[in-house]
Amino acid sequence: MELTILHLYPDIMNLYGEYANLAVLRRHLQALGASVTVRALHGDDRPSFEGADLIYMGAGMERMQKFVLERLSGQGDALRQAADRGAVILFTGSAMEILGRSVTDAAGREYPALGLGDYTTRETDQRNPGDVIAQTELLPTPVVGFMNKCSLTQGVKTPLFSRLLLGLGNESQLGPEGYVDGNIFATHITGPVLVKNPAFIDLVIRRLAGAKGWDLPEQLPVLPHEQDAYAVTLRELRARVK
Amino acid sequence: MGKLRFYIALWAGKLCRPVLKLTRHKATTFPGELALRLCPSFLQYVHMPEQVIAVTGSNGKTSSVEMIAAMLAADGRQVVYNKEGSNQIEGVTALLLYNCSLTGRVRGDVLLLESDERYAKFTFRWFHPTHYVITNLYRDQLTRNGHQQWVYDAILPSIHPETTLILNGDDPLVASFAQGHDPEKVKWFGLEENPSSTKEHQGIYDDGARCPLCQGRMEYSCYHFAHIGHYRCTVCGYSRPAPDFAGTALDLEQGQLTINGQTQIHLAFRSIYNIYNILAAWSVCSLAGVSPQTMAQVLNNYMLKNGRIVRFTLGAHRGALLISKHENSVAYDTNLGYIQSLDEPCEVMIIVDAVSRRYFTGETSWLWDIDFDRLNAPHVRRIWLCGTYENDLALRFDYTQVSPDRLQFRQSIPQAVEELKASGDLPLYVMTCFSDRDKLLNLVQLEQGGD
Ligand SMILES: [Zn+2]
Repeated sequence: MELTILHLYPDIMNLYGEYANLAVLRRHLQALGASVTVRALHGDDRPSFEGADLIYMGAGMERMQKFVLERLSGQGDALRQAADRGAVILFTGSAMEILGRSVTDAAGREYPALGLGDYTTRETDQRNPGDVIAQTELLPTPVVGFMNKCSLTQGVKTPLFSRLLLGLGNESQLGPEGYVDGNIFATHITGPVLVKNPAFIDLVIRRLAGAKGWDLPEQLPVLPHEQDAYAVTLRELRARVK
Repeated sequence: MGKLRFYIALWAGKLCRPVLKLTRHKATTFPGELALRLCPSFLQYVHMPEQVIAVTGSNGKTSSVEMIAAMLAADGRQVVYNKEGSNQIEGVTALLLYNCSLTGRVRGDVLLLESDERYAKFTFRWFHPTHYVITNLYRDQLTRNGHQQWVYDAILPSIHPETTLILNGDDPLVASFAQGHDPEKVKWFGLEENPSSTKEHQGIYDDGARCPLCQGRMEYSCYHFAHIGHYRCTVCGYSRPAPDFAGTALDLEQGQLTINGQTQIHLAFRSIYNIYNILAAWSVCSLAGVSPQTMAQVLNNYMLKNGRIVRFTLGAHRGALLISKHENSVAYDTNLGYIQSLDEPCEVMIIVDAVSRRYFTGETSWLWDIDFDRLNAPHVRRIWLCGTYENDLALRFDYTQVSPDRLQFRQSIPQAVEELKASGDLPLYVMTCFSDRDKLLNLVQLEQGGD
């Protein structure tokens, strides 16, 4: 079992320890016996998604995100083709906005985005940091995490999270959040969303296995500390909900 | 009319202070709040002294301000400054209320302000500093402050064209504040290459990888720490300016710093941070007319009083608490580097119980920004991971080279303290934030004096 992960702009879109998502995912895959290669696309490289089974991008500062939007301009079709051949795509934090149709900055300048999702994002001059508890039908347990966004996203018809118990959704408090379409996942939850949520890791692994035609055991590997860290964070966040 | 409101606000603010004292309220910013409610443009009417110095940035504000105050005082100036660090507009207003005459004239030669990087624009809407020091911009409390470019954008509107900027030229983002500012009104401080500089970037992430002006790839001829060093953009040519005030030689091991090739300073606190605090303070005091002799005399006898190191005993262990701000990987990395550099066996304890003392968050992604591999050294015998987020710490250490048999996990701080009390006698270094400090210090024997 071999698998290639492509990390987009790890030196630019890296505000919240995002590399850890891939480090942890890789260890889970290795526990299943897979051999995993992590490749990086850097700022000055010519964009290419060839041969990638998972394509990942994390959160970045607004100016860096615009730089990435310019670097990736015209690459929407190529990314769509990767998705069509079964690649799993995961964009977290402000990278979520890059998967939509456009991002308009606080000064009103519009940047075309990749257009895989039919949504648009408008930045504001207000930053909204906050902890998040999010529910999705795809997982038996809620996802925990953190968001630090200064934008609103409109037009998502298929949100990843149907509702939030805590946090700011795409365009409203507690509202639907993120975007999902088959194996394309996007959420504004930043930080190591996979690290914090072992169930989310399992979901990604099952989608990868599905695309690769692997047979997976009923019970996926459980690694130390992850479940406990999740349980404590969920407990602490739940205590804030009332 | 405006002036009348000002006097009413001034006198009301002054009057309510003794009342607060009488009712045993601690000195608060309340008088400032009251004055601003009565007269929102209060600060505009205060008669400022000739020199108004402001200091902002992610780290080192308080230390720099204390040094500046000490050097100005040694030069015989009367300095009014916000010691308690209440650095938002209400705090500044309260400070001025207490330190001005009944007609609103500040009693002092210099007003010195530690200024909150996010709120400076509200304070400096009404008056502007003659000298504005910006120390550095790092990832610091992203959950509260936002990332450093966000902070940059927040500071920018607080800069008045008439103000002289004193900028850390070794920080590319800070140096970019000079763009569009009158070059005559920009002064630079920086550190030259020295034995503790490195050719390669150290740390988990590199915020100097890209140019703040054009996002082009940057090249460094040397790094001092994090993204602080000598940089040049490979695309637009943006580069480190030649410093007006330079640390021309540095020997951290011997604790010797030379400024502008002339003045030798003996360092009481040997951290690279402290070098930049000294350079910042030196620059602005030079510009304010203090002589190198006076400054050197103050710095050579200078003891840091900011409580960042607290010494204690616990059983047979001699302990030192190294305050490490949570959500600030640069602060953690500096302290980890210090522990790494020791040559005697020791134990280390890391506590993450409450991420902040000011607000709640369960955000722990910053743990992945910290270079915990610096503890992968033979002299670090045991590492205790404690507090509510012990599991997150443990998980983080699973992705370091540190051998698991050196790790001790104890969610309960008292339990870890009891076990340490009963076993071992190695020096103990504890890293945690202000939010969690007392959870340890209440259980140990504090040393008198300390530093
Ligand atoms: Zn450039």
